[in-house]
Amino acid sequence: MTAALTGPAAVRRDAGKPRLTRWVLRLHRPALYAWAGLVIAVAALLLALRGPLADAAAEGWRQYDACADTVGCAYDQDAILRYKDYYSYATAALNLLPLLVAGWAGAALVGRELESGTARLAWTQGTSPARWLAVRLAVPAIAVTAGATPLFLLHDLAWKAGRGRVDTAKEWYDRFTFFASGPTTVALALAALAAGTLAGLVLRRTLPALLAGLAVTALLRGAAEAALPHLWPAVTRVSTMDQGFVGSGLVVDQGMISRTGAHVPVPPCDSTAACEAAYAGLTGHWNTYHPYSHHWPLQLTAGALYLAVAGLLALGSFLALRRITGPARTARKDAA
Amino acid sequence: MSSDTALRAEAVGKRFGRRGGWALRDCSFRLPTGRVCAVVGPNGAGKSTLLALAAGLTAPTEGSVTVLGRTPAAARPRVGFVAQDKPLYPQLTIAETLRMGADLNPGHWDDGHAARVVAGGDLDPRARVRSLSGGQRTRVALALALGKRPELLLLDEPMADLDPLARHELMGTLMAQAAQYGTTIVMSSHVVAELEDSCDHLLLVGDGRIRLAGEIDELLAAHRRVTGAADSAGLGAHTVVESRVTGRQLSALIRPAGPLPGDWRASAPSLEELVLGHLRNPGAPGLHEGSAA
Amino acid sequence: MVDYRIDRHSGVATYVQIVQQTKQALRLGLLEPGDRLPTAREVVEATAINPNTVLKAYRELEREGLVEARRGLGTFVRRSLGTAPADSPLRTELEEWADRARAAGLERDDVAALFTAVLDKHFQGDPS
Repeated sequence: MTAALTGPAAVRRDAGKPRLTRWVLRLHRPALYAWAGLVIAVAALLLALRGPLADAAAEGWRQYDACADTVGCAYDQDAILRYKDYYSYATAALNLLPLLVAGWAGAALVGRELESGTARLAWTQGTSPARWLAVRLAVPAIAVTAGATPLFLLHDLAWKAGRGRVDTAKEWYDRFTFFASGPTTVALALAALAAGTLAGLVLRRTLPALLAGLAVTALLRGAAEAALPHLWPAVTRVSTMDQGFVGSGLVVDQGMISRTGAHVPVPPCDSTAACEAAYAGLTGHWNTYHPYSHHWPLQLTAGALYLAVAGLLALGSFLALRRITGPARTARKDAA
Repeated sequence: MSSDTALRAEAVGKRFGRRGGWALRDCSFRLPTGRVCAVVGPNGAGKSTLLALAAGLTAPTEGSVTVLGRTPAAARPRVGFVAQDKPLYPQLTIAETLRMGADLNPGHWDDGHAARVVAGGDLDPRARVRSLSGGQRTRVALALALGKRPELLLLDEPMADLDPLARHELMGTLMAQAAQYGTTIVMSSHVVAELEDSCDHLLLVGDGRIRLAGEIDELLAAHRRVTGAADSAGLGAHTVVESRVTGRQLSALIRPAGPLPGDWRASAPSLEELVLGHLRNPGAPGLHEGSAA
Repeated sequence: MVDYRIDRHSGVATYVQIVQQTKQALRLGLLEPGDRLPTAREVVEATAINPNTVLKAYRELEREGLVEARRGLGTFVRRSLGTAPADSPLRTELEEWADRARAAGLERDDVAALFTAVLDKHFQGDPS
C-alpha cells in the first residue's frame, strides 16, 4: 500500500471558521468601490439640493412672484431650472438603484459564478454551499442598506427644503419622489438583491439572470405603485357642490353624493348644459385620499412588504441552491 | 462503513430535470483507499456526473454515494476536486487564490504544500489568474485542491488541453502525492493510454452505466484474447465480451469460466483492448471486481 | 543513485523494467551495498507511474535478497550483482575487443549481433 510510505502528515491545523466575507469583498472590490463612489456623489448632490440649490430656486420664485407684470420681470430662472433638473437626477438615481442592485446580483454576484464554474470551486472548499450563499446575500445586503439609508434620508431632507418654497417642487406622493425618500427605497433594493440572486441560481447564466433580475424588480416596483393607495386606511372628506373636492394628497377614489347619500362616480358629461343636467340630482363631493401625514405609515407598510418579499426570495434562493447541490449534511445517514 | 473505502456507490442514478434522460443509472462500485483510479469512458458517458456526485456538487436522483464513510456533503473538507474547465477567479493573483484556499479551509490547509505545487510550475505568485495558460491554470487549480490535504482527490479530465510535457509533470506531481500521503486519486479521461501507467484501479463508464470496476491487474487477468478455428468448439462456456470471425478464424475477448481448448491461442489483453472491447459491445455483461467487499 | 527510465512501448511490464534497471545498475557498480534506492515518491514524481508499481518492483528485489527496506529510512542495497564493475579487468578486455572489432571494419549492429550470439551460447537458460 502506498500508505505504508506515508510519514506523519504535517498539516497545519488552525481551527476556526472559514473566512468567506473578506473574499466576497475582495472578489467584488470594483463593485464595492463603484457603489461607494455612487453613494458619495448622490449624497453630495442631495446636500447641494437641500442647501444652496433649494435656496437659490426659492429666491428665484420669490422674485417671480413679486413681479407685477410678466413682461420685463427679472428673476433667476436658471436657479429654478437647475433645482428642477438636479432634483430629477437625484430622484432618478434613487429610483434606478434597485434595478442596479438586481442586475448586479443576478449577473456578477451569482450568475457568472455558476456559468464559469467558480461556484463549484467555492463549494468544494471547506465550506458548505449554503454558507457560501448566506455570505453572498448578507454582505451586499449590509452594503446596500448602509449606502441607501443615508441617501433616502438626505432625499427626504432635500425634498423638504423645497416644499412650499419652490413652486415647481414635487408633491410627496409623486411616485418617483415617494420611492426615493423613505425606507421603501432600501427595502426594494434588498428585495432586488434577493431577486437577482434567485435568478442567478435558477438560470445559472450571467445575461439571462441579469435580465430576469431586472424584470422581477420592475414587476415588484409596479405592483407596489398599484397597491400603494390601499396599504393604509385612507381619509374620506365630504364637501358641498360649491366647495368642490376637498383635501389634497394621494387620491384613492373620488366621486359625488346623490340625494340618498350614496357615493356615486362623477357622471360623464361634455358640455355645460349636459353637466348641469347630470349633476341635477347630486348634493356634494367625496374624496378619499392619503394626506401627507400618511407618508410615513405608507412608507413603512410598503417597506415591510418588500422586506417580506425579500425574505421569500432569499428562501427561494436557498431552495434553488439545494436543488442543485442536494441536501446538506444531515440526509442519507443510512448510507453509512 | 469501514474506513478503508474511499468511495462507494450503491444503485446510484442521476437524472437531470424531471423528464430528462438518465446521465447515470444503476451504478454500484467500491473504491478502496490509497488507489489511483481511472474513470474511463467516451465523452458524455457520465464520468463528470459521477465525479460531481462524489464531490457533493449534485445529489443523486436515486441510490446513495458514500465518501470516506460519510455523505459527500459531510466529507467535503477532506475531498479535493478539480473540475474539467479548471474554474478559478480570473481577477485574483495566484498568491491571492492560495490565500483564499487557506481562508476557506481553516484547520486543514497546508500553505507550504500548495506553494510547492505552484513553484513546481515556475509560476510567479503575483501573476493574475486571467493571464495564465491552460497548463498553468491546471497547476494552480491543482495547488488549491492539494493545499487542503485531501484524503480523496477527484480530477475531471485533468489532462485535457495540456501539452505532453505538462501532462508528464502533472502526473508526476499527482503520483508523488499518492506515494507520500496515500491520497486516493480518482481521475477521468476519455484517453485510456494516458492513464495506463499511473492508475491501478479502473471504472469504465459507458452509456451511464459502470461496465468494469476493479483493480486493473485483476480485470486484465480475468480476460483473455483468444484466437482459434471458427468451426472448433464454441465459446459457450465462457463469457464473451466480443467475438469476430474472419474467414476460418475466430478471435474473441472472453472471460474464461474454465480451461480453454488446447488448440486455441490465448494472450492477455492490453488495457486499451479491454476497454474498447467493452465499449464496442454495450450488451456484454460487465464485471465488478470486489464490489461486494 | 539510479535514474529509472520507463519505456511504455517495450511490452515489458513497468515493474519488471524497474527490476531490470536496478540489476543493471548493480552489475555496473552504479549501485553498491549500503546505497539507498530512490524513494517511491522520487521515482513516481519523475516517471509519473503508479507508486504501487515501484513498491512491487522493490518487493521483488527484496525477495531476491538484493535490497532491504528499513522502516522510515528507505530501501537499501544489500549486495551487488555480478563481478564486472565499471572499471574491472574484464571491462578493459571488452573495451580492447570492441576497439579491434571496429578497426576490423565491423558496424555497430554487427558487433551487437556477434556479442548477443556469444551471450546466448554461453548463458543459455539463465534469467536475464
